[in-house]
Amino acid sequence: MPKNFSLNSNNDKAESSETVLSIEHLYKSFGANKVLVDFNLDLVRGENVVVLGKSGSGKSVLIKCIISLLNPDSGSIRMFGSNIPDIKNDVLDKIRAKVGFLFQSNALYDSMTVRENLEFPLRRHWISVTQRQVNAMVQEALEEVGLAHTIDSMPAELSGGMRKRIALARTLILKPEIILYDEPTTGLDPITAKEIINLMIEIRERYTTTSLIISHDMNCVRMASSRVVMLIDGSCYASGSFDQLANNADPKVKQFFE
Amino acid sequence: MYKLPYKMIASYLPSLNIFLKEAGEIARFTGRFFTQWFKPRYEIAELLRQCFVIGYRSLPLVGLTAFILGLVLTIQLRPSMEDYGVASQLPAIVGIAIIREIGPVIVALIFAGKIGSSIGAELGSMKVTEQIDAMEVSGTNPFKYLVVTRVLAATLMLPVLVLLGDAVSLYGSWLGVNIRGNTSFYLFWTQVFNSITFSDVLPAFIKSYFFGFAVGVVGCYKGFNSNKGTEGVGRSANSAVVVSSVMIFLIDLLAVQVTDVLGLN
Amino acid sequence: MENRTVNNIKLGAFVLGGLLFLVVLLYMIGANRSLFGATYLLKARFENVQGLVAGNNVRFSGIQAGTVKNITILNDTVIEISMLIDKKMLMIIRNNALVSIGTDGLVGNKVVNIVPSKVSAPLAKEAEILQAKRAVSPDEMLQTLYTTNNDIAVIAANLKTTVQRINSSSALWALLSDPSIPKDLKISVAHIRDATGKAGNIVDNLDLMVEDVKVGKGLLGKLMRDESLAKNLEAAVVKINRVVEQADSLAGEFSGLVTDIRLDATKGKGTLHTLLRDSLMAASLTNSLENIQQGTDGFNQNMEAIKHSFLLRGYYKKLKKQQQKNEKKQE
Repeated sequence: MPKNFSLNSNNDKAESSETVLSIEHLYKSFGANKVLVDFNLDLVRGENVVVLGKSGSGKSVLIKCIISLLNPDSGSIRMFGSNIPDIKNDVLDKIRAKVGFLFQSNALYDSMTVRENLEFPLRRHWISVTQRQVNAMVQEALEEVGLAHTIDSMPAELSGGMRKRIALARTLILKPEIILYDEPTTGLDPITAKEIINLMIEIRERYTTTSLIISHDMNCVRMASSRVVMLIDGSCYASGSFDQLANNADPKVKQFFE
Repeated sequence: MYKLPYKMIASYLPSLNIFLKEAGEIARFTGRFFTQWFKPRYEIAELLRQCFVIGYRSLPLVGLTAFILGLVLTIQLRPSMEDYGVASQLPAIVGIAIIREIGPVIVALIFAGKIGSSIGAELGSMKVTEQIDAMEVSGTNPFKYLVVTRVLAATLMLPVLVLLGDAVSLYGSWLGVNIRGNTSFYLFWTQVFNSITFSDVLPAFIKSYFFGFAVGVVGCYKGFNSNKGTEGVGRSANSAVVVSSVMIFLIDLLAVQVTDVLGLN
Repeated sequence: MENRTVNNIKLGAFVLGGLLFLVVLLYMIGANRSLFGATYLLKARFENVQGLVAGNNVRFSGIQAGTVKNITILNDTVIEISMLIDKKMLMIIRNNALVSIGTDGLVGNKVVNIVPSKVSAPLAKEAEILQAKRAVSPDEMLQTLYTTNNDIAVIAANLKTTVQRINSSSALWALLSDPSIPKDLKISVAHIRDATGKAGNIVDNLDLMVEDVKVGKGLLGKLMRDESLAKNLEAAVVKINRVVEQADSLAGEFSGLVTDIRLDATKGKGTLHTLLRDSLMAASLTNSLENIQQGTDGFNQNMEAIKHSFLLRGYYKKLKKQQQKNEKKQE
């Protein structure tokens, strides 16, 4: 595996307690509908935090705010030394290159082949790489997810699980430090879902990435989480390991584990 | 005394409101295009790809319709021309009709049907399946990558399509003249060229840029602002065609006034 | 990647194709408007340009030679037009050529026509003012047409009454439809010709006789050396001569008439043309018949007079005898 494109330049000075993402007093509402109300969350390097919540509880809004696809009404999101809602586009793009985002619907470009899909973020973020380097990185990312043979297929020709893995490969190709997973197992059968979860754990261990996973799939939560945050009524209702929360007596927490 | 039907007017107010809101949003979208299109980074490769898809791929359809149009127009006009005893002026009249008005408008309508709907549906489905978000995350301004390229491609390609459509249409017209007559190809073209002037060609050529721009902007606006769900995609494709077709006629109306004021008629 | 190159090539060809058509279109229009290539200026002054505008074609003897560049009003009665003329015409158009404004077809665009004069003159130079000819405008043409129309209406009305009259005249129809008429006429012509021939002989003989008498030859001559007699005789000869001439022209007129009638008999009747011809013919027929009548009467009288003239009685008797002899011989 060629190491020459590692973006993790601060790997060496990494400490286990280093906070890579810190969200404070985040508010977001759509009209009268208050989705996030004073939401606070800190992510430490190497953590796999799962945000658990009901559908429509604002989980997706949360991670879209983190990657600046949505602008919060107020509050701060600190990542790589910048407050995301304040920064300009060129800085934002540099930060986005270090943050992977796995979309719920995969968001593979229908008009492009798998290869072009994977090349896209590379070419967009690193304009100066050569074609040979790009080819090598695409190959590597595809091998990572075990789908090297699909390189010239169109996304529409692939199954749901394969598409999810291609999307994951596209996220991984930039070697992100933080990966945001938006419902990674939705719409997949249990076996495929398990494969995806295992892949996520494997990636975290290999690259020491920090992950923020949004899910309501308890299997996924149990397997992938090192910490679970309960998002209820727009704010962080409870936090702890899976086992701690599973044994929590609070009825609002308990209903997720029944 | 005549009383205004206040209730009826009031019942139209909400749809008028929606119309005005939409018009305003399209205007803002157009403004966004103008503030973005000349700033780097330039998506040249994507622009060329879109030009290929939007322009070259539309050629067979445009060519076929233009050919039939020229042929039919000539055959239909012949009896009236014969009534007035000016059947020999058929190439001149058809030439002016095609180059001035029918060529640009019909090609633009075909273009709106094909390209407006495909842009609307493509961007709509990209929006619904988060591909636009994915692009933004991948360090790409989706407005520039998707909208500016498509609007520019539509603007640049429609005039070319109109020109080629005119040529094919006139060829069809020549065949139409020869169904019941005998005019050499050379004579036909001489007659056409003798009858048309710069003031026939240039306004038609210039207005086709506006037609292309309208189709591109409306298609992109509708797709980019598509609602969630597959139904939203269908609706944005449909309304892209409807709105851009109406826009074409409005622009045509405007263009004829402008050329009239400028004394180019 | 290769696919993209191919697509770009196709795109390029597509765009070039469109632009090529545009360029050809613009070039052809420009060439027709004499915008490219060398041109020179000619001018003409008119009282009325009849709606001519800049850009209208200029033709020299019907050949496209250039376009109208601009039209300026010099004063309230003089309008000057400037024409851009192809340089090729520099060696052709002379300064006495006439310029007129006409219409391309009946309802087409205005054109300027330059018509060469038959008289030789120096070639027209740059910016030279050519002589203008007032052209017939369609308005005037229509005015004339209106008058002509009225005339035709009157003629048609007259014609109608004439035709009705001819139609109602049964005698004329009988005459026209009688197949025996051409035949009779033919026989008449033959007779007249015969008579003419005889009259010719008589005249010749008379001439001889008169000569003889003048020189006093023979008994008869000696007997009548009377001047007055000779004079009388001469007058008689002149008269006879005239009659013979008349008969000759009559014969010609007749044979023409006969062919006409025969033609009419073979062709159908009923069109205006035929009717017209018929009425004319009827007139000429009556005329001719009268003439023949008169001519024949006069001739007969003359012949009688000659026969009864005592001087020639002997001669005629002799002639008769000789004829009888000849007939006997022939028998």
